[in-house]
Parts: sequence; C-alpha cells; structure tokens
Amino acid sequence: MKLGFSYREALPEEFRLLSMLHNIGAVTAERSLTVDEITKWTDLDASVVRSQLQKLRESGYVQLFEAGGVEKYHLTTTGITKVLTLYS
Amino acid sequence: MRIGMLSWEFPPRIVGGLARHVFGLAGGLASQGHDVHVFTLDFPGAPAYEEIDGVKVYRAACEVGHPNFLTWALLFNHFIEKRMADACRPARFDVFHVHDWLTAPAGVSYKHLSRKPMVLTVHSTEYGRSSLHSPDSFTIDGIEWWATYEANRVIVTSGSMKREVCDHFHLPWEKVTVIPNAIDASKYNVSVDRWSVRARYGVQPHERLILCVGRLVPQKGIEYLLQAVPKVAWSHSGAKFVLVGEGWYRDHLQYVAHSTGQGWRVRFTGFVPDSELVALLASADVLVVPSVYEPFGIVALEGMAAGVPVVASQVGGLTEVIEHDRTGVFVYPRNPDSIAWGVSHVLSNPDHARWLVQNAREVVQKAYSWEAIAMRTADLYKEVVGVT
Repeated sequence: MKLGFSYREALPEEFRLLSMLHNIGAVTAERSLTVDEITKWTDLDASVVRSQLQKLRESGYVQLFEAGGVEKYHLTTTGITKVLTLYS
Repeated sequence: MRIGMLSWEFPPRIVGGLARHVFGLAGGLASQGHDVHVFTLDFPGAPAYEEIDGVKVYRAACEVGHPNFLTWALLFNHFIEKRMADACRPARFDVFHVHDWLTAPAGVSYKHLSRKPMVLTVHSTEYGRSSLHSPDSFTIDGIEWWATYEANRVIVTSGSMKREVCDHFHLPWEKVTVIPNAIDASKYNVSVDRWSVRARYGVQPHERLILCVGRLVPQKGIEYLLQAVPKVAWSHSGAKFVLVGEGWYRDHLQYVAHSTGQGWRVRFTGFVPDSELVALLASADVLVVPSVYEPFGIVALEGMAAGVPVVASQVGGLTEVIEHDRTGVFVYPRNPDSIAWGVSHVLSNPDHARWLVQNAREVVQKAYSWEAIAMRTADLYKEVVGVT
C-alpha cells in the first residue's frame, strides 16, 4: 500500500541537522562536537548551524556541553529517539 | 537451541513496537530453555553487555559516523558484526533471526560465514512506510528485498503483511509465515487511581479521556483524529484528547490541532515511561488507533489488555486483531467523520463498551501471549535448522 507522501523531504531544516548529528555520532558528551566541526561535517553555514542548534536546544533535543571553555553539542536521549522515529 | 537475534532497537532504545517485540520474543524463547543472544546498538546509559531474564544482550557502538542515515546504517552493521564475531567464538549459533532491514547486512554476512540459517522478520516495508521517493528510499527497498531473498524463512506479523511482502518482493507464498505480535497481558491488568491519572493530564472527573498512542509520523493517521476533535466535541463537550508518543511530524500535528480551533482539548505528552502508559491506558475512556498503514498494531492489543475500548482504522494487521463491534470498533482510515462516529459510538454506549472490553480481554489472553508466539517461532527455527 502506498501512502503517497515523501516524508523525509518534508522534514523541518533543524530536524535534518538533528538527524545528521545523530548519524555522525554526536550522541554523548564525550562525542559532542563544536559548531566548527558540525559545519565541516554537514557542509552548512556556521550561522545556519548556530540558529538550528538553538531551536534544537529549546526543544530539548540537543544539549550544550562546555569543556575547557569550548562549547560543544550532542543529542539528548529524547533527540536520539526523535531521529529514530524517522526510519523505524 | 542457540539463537542469535539482531535488532537495531532493544530496550532502552525504544522507538516503536520493534523493541518491545524483540524483548518479548527473546524473553519468551529464553523462558522455554533456549539460549538467546541479542545483538543491538548502544544507547546512552545502557551497558555494553547484560543479561535480562536469561537473555544475553550485546550492545555495539558505531565508532564511525556519516551524515547520511543509510551510510551510517551500513557502517553500524559492521560494528554489530564485530560484536557478533566476539560472541560467536564461544557460542556457535544454530540460527540467526534478523528483525527488519537495518541489521540485515550483518545477518546475511553471518549466514554465509557460519553456514547457519537466517530467519528474517519484516515488521514493515519502506514501500509501505513512506512510498519510494528518493535514492536512499529505493536502496532501503532494495536491502529489504535482498534480505527476504537471503533469508531461509520470512516471518510477518499479519496476513496483510504477508500479501504485501509476497506481492512487492515477489516471494514464494510458502516462504513467508505469519506469526502475530504478542504482549504480556498481565502487565496491563493493573489497578490504578484513574481519577488522579486523568487529573495529571488535565482531564476533570466529568470529562472524557480519548487516548491515542503512537509515533508521531504520517502513517499513524493522527492528523485525521485531530480533524475529528471538533466533531467529537460537538456531541461530547467534555472530550479531552491525550496523544502519547514522539516523532518528526509533531510540529505539523500541533499545527493541525491548533487549526481546528479546539487545540485546547489536545495534549501532546511526548514519550512517557511504560508504567505511566499502562496507567493512562487503564484510565482512558477510549483508545483510538487511526493508522493509515499498520502492519500489526500492537497498541490495539495493549489497549484491549488494559480494558479500554478500542476504536481503530480498518487497515492492515488491525483487521486481524479486532473484530468489529465485538472486540473493538472499526472506522474508515483517513476519515475524520468516521473516527468521530466510532469515538461517539463508544462514549455514548457505556454498557456496550464494557461488553467490547470483556470480549477483547479474552481474545488477548487466549491468542496473543509471548509464550504461544515464542513456541511458534521456535517451531519455525526447528524447521529451518532441520530438527524435528
């Protein structure tokens, strides 16, 4: 049975970033990434990454982790589960 | 028998019904004396190895990432294979059981390496979940076909899924066996203070609690339930809707709820712990399963076991779980008017609703226990292994 929608194309932009963060492994504090690293992995502009990270933090899907004065980001468990709903 | 089971979901990594299915089946097989080893992905806070009720659980970390999901999935299969290789040295498995395409590459590798049979359960298909709309989607569809081709036997959870996989992947009818999902019914037979549970979700004693549980994704049809909210409210002014679950479609659904002008009646809870879900099921006046695609529909069974009347779309596996107006009420899929009719039918006829619940509980206990389903699965393993 065909459902007739292309759901992965309908994703909000910040959710695409959330999915990419998950797939590159930023799922724990130890594996958190800086904005610069995320920019390189995802090929998105730093300003876009910052703005989308902010939205994801407000939604509780991404957590900020500070180590030695450096800001890094990783998914929360809610964020991981959110990503997994896409393919399960 | 020594059984290797592969799944990308296993508690606490729970997304939909898959984790619960693998957990229940593995536990059911272990309780019957089989040596069950589950290989899955890691999750923050979960140990790399543990034993749960006799089931040995190995969690693999994916040490290499890639922004693309499909590439990542193929990479994590390598790390699951590595974990299996470590475990396989002391434990030679008789059969491998793969759940869905996500762990199929690791399962197929081990089938050829060990020369042991592989059983595949197809819980849903890419074709059914999302239609085939992108290069990645076509690749996932291809992996699903390849996995069904490589598998010695394929299990599906309903007759409608059997027709779907046989048609779509051109499988011989006799290669596919229907073994339904199951639940631990005793878990849902609980005594709760339903008024305090309802109060936690803003439902007052004189109001009606209409519950919907599922991933917030299009195939669950939740937008049609939301479009039915004003229609239900017209005949039941105290109707409140509680939606349990999470998913990428949440923003859109919240917009739909708001656009009905009755968004204040709807509460999105996100994920809730299992104990809270059971309490909610036991406290609701009606459970709605408005799916447009449903290979099985385990949430309907959960509702039936918990003693809440179920109103469900007449699609897929739900048509085999529910008998209309005897163990639940069917409504037309994608049809808010029909959903509103079904909900009102239950709310307006409390004696009939109680009769539905009583019938439904009997069916769940007789036909959908993990003990029965594990036994049927073990019989299928014996067939493919050649043990009689």
